[in-house]
Amino acid sequence: MSFEKFLFYLFAVLLLGAAVMVITRRNPVHSVLFLVLAFFNAAGLWMLAEAEFLAIALVLVYVGAVMVLFLFVVMMLDINVAELRAGFVRSAPVALVVAVIMAAELVVVLGPARFGLDSYAAPDRHPADYNNTAELGLALFTQHIYAFEIAAVILLVGIVAAISLTLRRRPETKYLDPASQVGVKAKDRLKIVKMDPEENA
Amino acid sequence: MDYILLTIVLAPLAGSLIAGLFRNQVGRAGAHWTTIIGVGISCALSFYVFYQYAFNGAPVHNETVYTWMVVDGLRMEIGFLVDRLTAMMMVVVTFVSLMVHIYTIGYMAHEEGYQRFFSYIALFTFSMLMLVMSNNFLQLFFGWEAVGLVSYLLIGFYVKRETAIFANLKAFLVNRVGDFGFILGIAAVAMYMGTLDYYEAFERAPALANATVVVWGDDAWSLMTLICILLFVGAMGKSAQVPLHVWLPDSMEGPTPISALIHAATMVTAGIFMVARMSPLYELSETALSFVLIIGATTAFFMGLIGIIQNDIKRVVAYSTLSQLGYMIAALGASAYAAGLFHLMTHAFFKALLFLAAGSVIIGMHHDQDIRNMGGMRKYMPITHWTFLIGTLALIGFPGFAGFFSKDAIIEAVHFSRIFGSDYAYWLLLSGVFVTALYSFRLYFIVFHGKGPRHFEPHHDVHDENGDAEAQEHHPVHDEPKPHESPWVVTVPLVLLAIPSVVIGYLAIGPMLFGEYFDGTLTVAPIHATLSEIDFHGAAGFILHGLSGPAVYLAAAGALVAWFVYTRKPNIATDLARRFSWIYRVLDSKYGFDSFNQWFFAGGARQLGKVLWQAGDRAFIDGAVVNGSARSVAWLASVTRYLQTGYLYHYAFAIILGLLGLLSWFVIR
Amino acid sequence: MQYDLISLQPVMPEIFMLGAACLVLVVDLFLTQRTRMWTYGLTLATLLGAIALTAWAAGPERQVLFDGSYVRDPVSDVLKIALLTITVFVMVYARDYLLQRGIYRGEFYTLALFASLGMMIMASAGNFLTVYLGLELLALSMYALVAFDRDSVKGSEAAMKYFVLGALASGLLLYGMSMLYGATGTLNLAAMSEVIAAGKAEETVLVFGLVFVVIGIAFKFGAVPFHMWVPDVYDGAPTAVTLFLGSAPKIAAFALAIRLLADGAGGLSAHWSDMLIILAVASLAIGNIVAIAQTNVKRMLAYSTISHVGFIFLGFVAADGRGYGAALFYTVVYALTAAGGFGLLTILSRKGVDAETLDDLKGLNDRSPWLAGMMLLILFSMAGVPPTVGFFAKLFVLDAVVQVDMVWLAIVAVFFSIIGAYYYLRAIKMMYFDKPIDDHPIVASVDSRVAMSVNGLAVLLLGIFPTALLQACRTAFGG
Repeated sequence: MSFEKFLFYLFAVLLLGAAVMVITRRNPVHSVLFLVLAFFNAAGLWMLAEAEFLAIALVLVYVGAVMVLFLFVVMMLDINVAELRAGFVRSAPVALVVAVIMAAELVVVLGPARFGLDSYAAPDRHPADYNNTAELGLALFTQHIYAFEIAAVILLVGIVAAISLTLRRRPETKYLDPASQVGVKAKDRLKIVKMDPEENA
Repeated sequence: MDYILLTIVLAPLAGSLIAGLFRNQVGRAGAHWTTIIGVGISCALSFYVFYQYAFNGAPVHNETVYTWMVVDGLRMEIGFLVDRLTAMMMVVVTFVSLMVHIYTIGYMAHEEGYQRFFSYIALFTFSMLMLVMSNNFLQLFFGWEAVGLVSYLLIGFYVKRETAIFANLKAFLVNRVGDFGFILGIAAVAMYMGTLDYYEAFERAPALANATVVVWGDDAWSLMTLICILLFVGAMGKSAQVPLHVWLPDSMEGPTPISALIHAATMVTAGIFMVARMSPLYELSETALSFVLIIGATTAFFMGLIGIIQNDIKRVVAYSTLSQLGYMIAALGASAYAAGLFHLMTHAFFKALLFLAAGSVIIGMHHDQDIRNMGGMRKYMPITHWTFLIGTLALIGFPGFAGFFSKDAIIEAVHFSRIFGSDYAYWLLLSGVFVTALYSFRLYFIVFHGKGPRHFEPHHDVHDENGDAEAQEHHPVHDEPKPHESPWVVTVPLVLLAIPSVVIGYLAIGPMLFGEYFDGTLTVAPIHATLSEIDFHGAAGFILHGLSGPAVYLAAAGALVAWFVYTRKPNIATDLARRFSWIYRVLDSKYGFDSFNQWFFAGGARQLGKVLWQAGDRAFIDGAVVNGSARSVAWLASVTRYLQTGYLYHYAFAIILGLLGLLSWFVIR
Repeated sequence: MQYDLISLQPVMPEIFMLGAACLVLVVDLFLTQRTRMWTYGLTLATLLGAIALTAWAAGPERQVLFDGSYVRDPVSDVLKIALLTITVFVMVYARDYLLQRGIYRGEFYTLALFASLGMMIMASAGNFLTVYLGLELLALSMYALVAFDRDSVKGSEAAMKYFVLGALASGLLLYGMSMLYGATGTLNLAAMSEVIAAGKAEETVLVFGLVFVVIGIAFKFGAVPFHMWVPDVYDGAPTAVTLFLGSAPKIAAFALAIRLLADGAGGLSAHWSDMLIILAVASLAIGNIVAIAQTNVKRMLAYSTISHVGFIFLGFVAADGRGYGAALFYTVVYALTAAGGFGLLTILSRKGVDAETLDDLKGLNDRSPWLAGMMLLILFSMAGVPPTVGFFAKLFVLDAVVQVDMVWLAIVAVFFSIIGAYYYLRAIKMMYFDKPIDDHPIVASVDSRVAMSVNGLAVLLLGIFPTALLQACRTAFGG
């Protein structure tokens, strides 16, 4: 067994183990942390497949940003785990049966008989100076420029949708208006009133 | 040309829609103006088209306007076929229709549903034009049904009058019988010729002349005979031929203008038009021609007889229409298509004239239609009287008048015909001339001569034998003013129709019957060419020739008998009626067609319906099928409804199960 | 490839749409509630402009841009014009409703425009990426629209269900695509169909991927058993959104199906047509039967949608140009009638009262004979009564099915249509023969009345003269 193969199985086993832990932990914070572990392992697998850019992006975006945000949310919300688990236990037998059948079918179809090395030859290794990121960028901005643009539009819609669903103007809330703060004049703030001194106090 | 034809068809439709849908917005005047303008445009353009075809020799126009759909190579289209036959029909239809529109302003002046009426008659004009201008069987059928529909609506125009509802239902049902045959005929054409287009069908027909089909048992029928007779059954319904004629007399329940337009001049002639249009098919089947001839002749004579004893002014004219339609059909049977069409045209003018004049009399009589109450009307309604007289002369075939030429030509043609039944037909048609003259002049003398209208004399007692409720309802009172001439909107159409009633025969007989007018339109097999055996030397010569034949003298005899019996010795008529009471009874019961239908078809159908209703419907269908299936469906619905729990994870699980099912079924098996 | 105006001509409608949508988004920021008419007007102008551009770029040939990502062919022309036209109707009907609910906000129009853009992208997608991204663009806009009435608990719940299930279905679809990619080695649909035709791909893997793809399509259409979201979402969403969701996206779903199944996996039609038969029969049965038990009009129409989807699938089952043409005809006709049906519900709704139950239809003829007449035509069309266009839609589909010798399927379809006719006719009976329960006068703006009239009369006129639309649908598939 080559070292590469060993690494593959190591990452794969860790990934699966972490995934199982994600859905079985009682404490949601633990679940999130296991998910982080799963992502790291997935990144490792991609690294083995020479997809360096994707691997790094996965770690940076998902682990660095999304999961941290997720952790905040989980900690802020008080989720009643027991209640969720009750349903889980009740439907577990049926779900298990379905899952096992499904898994069996997947194995039958996707097993080595159809996806072995003889049907899909291993790709050639690229030399060390091969720039994966540059190639990806080239493909994205030439071949897939149309799809790339659409993805950008989807992000825009995501922003619009999020704002439209959450932004509210509450009449009772007081807002600062920076423009008027900046544009304020001294005489608006301080008014000097001339008075005659009062006599015979 | 396309646009002109489209305008001709669509202008009346537009008028109809405006008058019908926006009746409250346009008002009474708006309704008659929009429809008259629509029909007027149509009429003017029809004359233009006619001019192009009749005098400038325009080529036959056969174009598809719109392909409705194509099913298995069977093209269903809307298209126009315009040749000289169509052009003639267009002129007749739009001209008579325009006259009727104008006349209606006067006739319906005080009726409710004024806008509705105009909307209907304009719609009728549209439908009739679609029928005559069609270049395929589908559109023909559309027009056929559409005119039937409008006819139904108009017969029952007085929706609150029970007899009217009865009459329109009867017309509708009887026409269903005819239309059933008609659509079977069309279906046979589509099935065996694979096309609905006229020209394509005509091209393919000769190849099928000897084809046979097995309809029932082991007998092989000639295909052409089958198709032609089936189509003719449709014509029998629409053109009111024995035994499907029973609806036409009852249709007189409708207002008089439509009796003139639909039930005399145009719609009822659709059958004649159709058979003439199909002449290439009919020429291939002598059996069918014989059938047509015999039916036509029978109708012509026996329906005329009934006319003699009718007392309702409109019914007399109606029976006369039946009889004349019989003449036309007989002409078709004798392969004298041109003569049939010629009679169709002259008849359209003089019969519309007669009906409208009768309507004018009815207006004068304050909507009393019983001729026994009339008399001496010539003093009060001079224009009506003269035009009515012209119409009558044209009808009986007075030499020189329109009807003379057409009817004489038919009789001559049948005389020369050698197919089975032609002798029978010849004698019936010839005797029919006498009968025609008799009933026509009986009507004329009773209405316009003799002593003044009966209501205006004291102590009258009207006994209405026909159970005509209307006569009772509109019983005028004594101090009403004397009858007087109708307004100009009524008399102008009369005069305008009187002109062609006199001259059209003289003008048109040369080109239409013996000239080239119908060349290339009608097909006549050489052995059936009866018309060409008549030696023709100009219209004047034809008159002279007619004077040497028996028909003119029979007509004169009929008129004389009428004059003698009904003005000189009125008691002869009652004497005869008493002495030959069995004949009178047979005629009065209209040969028993109505009572037979009532008893056999209506009664039988009701009995059958009752049985089916109780045994089939109530017990089986309602009990077992309807309620049973309704119950099970309701049960199923309520059960499946519970699957819709509203829980997200149930839904997701359903998706997964669906996935699993499909995977197992398609991948693993 | 060169990027200049001429070579970009086919994609102009999408470019225009995107630019205009962004413009509407920005312009709306500067408008107050009173001047928001401008947003509405600009939206209509955008849609009409996109229709005009599509017509301008249309033609009988097939044009491919962006390395096969984008395809412009007669099918995409018909689909885009149809879906944009339906969207115009939707926008017109929706305005009154939004105003009365106090949710007349610019985002509705922006999101609707982006959703339409997503549908257009799907209509002319040339590879898996564009299909999927267009679908997501549509779906994301729709999720937000369903939750548009933020104060409505039902709406939020519906949006949540729709979002989660939609994500699941997208996942399945994506998985299926990855399998097809794995088996054929290409994302491009045209190239994929060549690989399949050449028999170079492992068939079991292809069918395996195909199952997932079909499920993704079935979910978007709402076919049984992937229909569970349909009634809940239709019911929960604001009626104006239901109106949108129930009409134009059906055309987009058709685009999804035609691109993936016919363009991409055409060589596997023997497999997917069997799958579609199962889904179609189940949809016809469940849709029609359960609709009878509904008292809520929106839910009833939701189940009716499910049954119509069964008919659309029947057109696909034939797997030839005739069948696709019939299915396209059916889809367009259905979208038109659905827009009318839901549009009437928005018109009947008043401030604070949603027209939701069948009782709200009672005595409609007494309240407004014209609207009742239009609704009559629309319901007749849904039931498939001649001479409305719905009859011909059913006829053509059945014809296509019979042509490929599946008479039993046609009989099943007719049988369930008869059951279905019951609930449409019941609604008609309520409109004409029952006394109105609610006798408030019907308030509707001029534009929605006009749109309703056009919509209803179109259903009738297309029924009398179906050839033009049919011809467009048939020639799109070279038939």
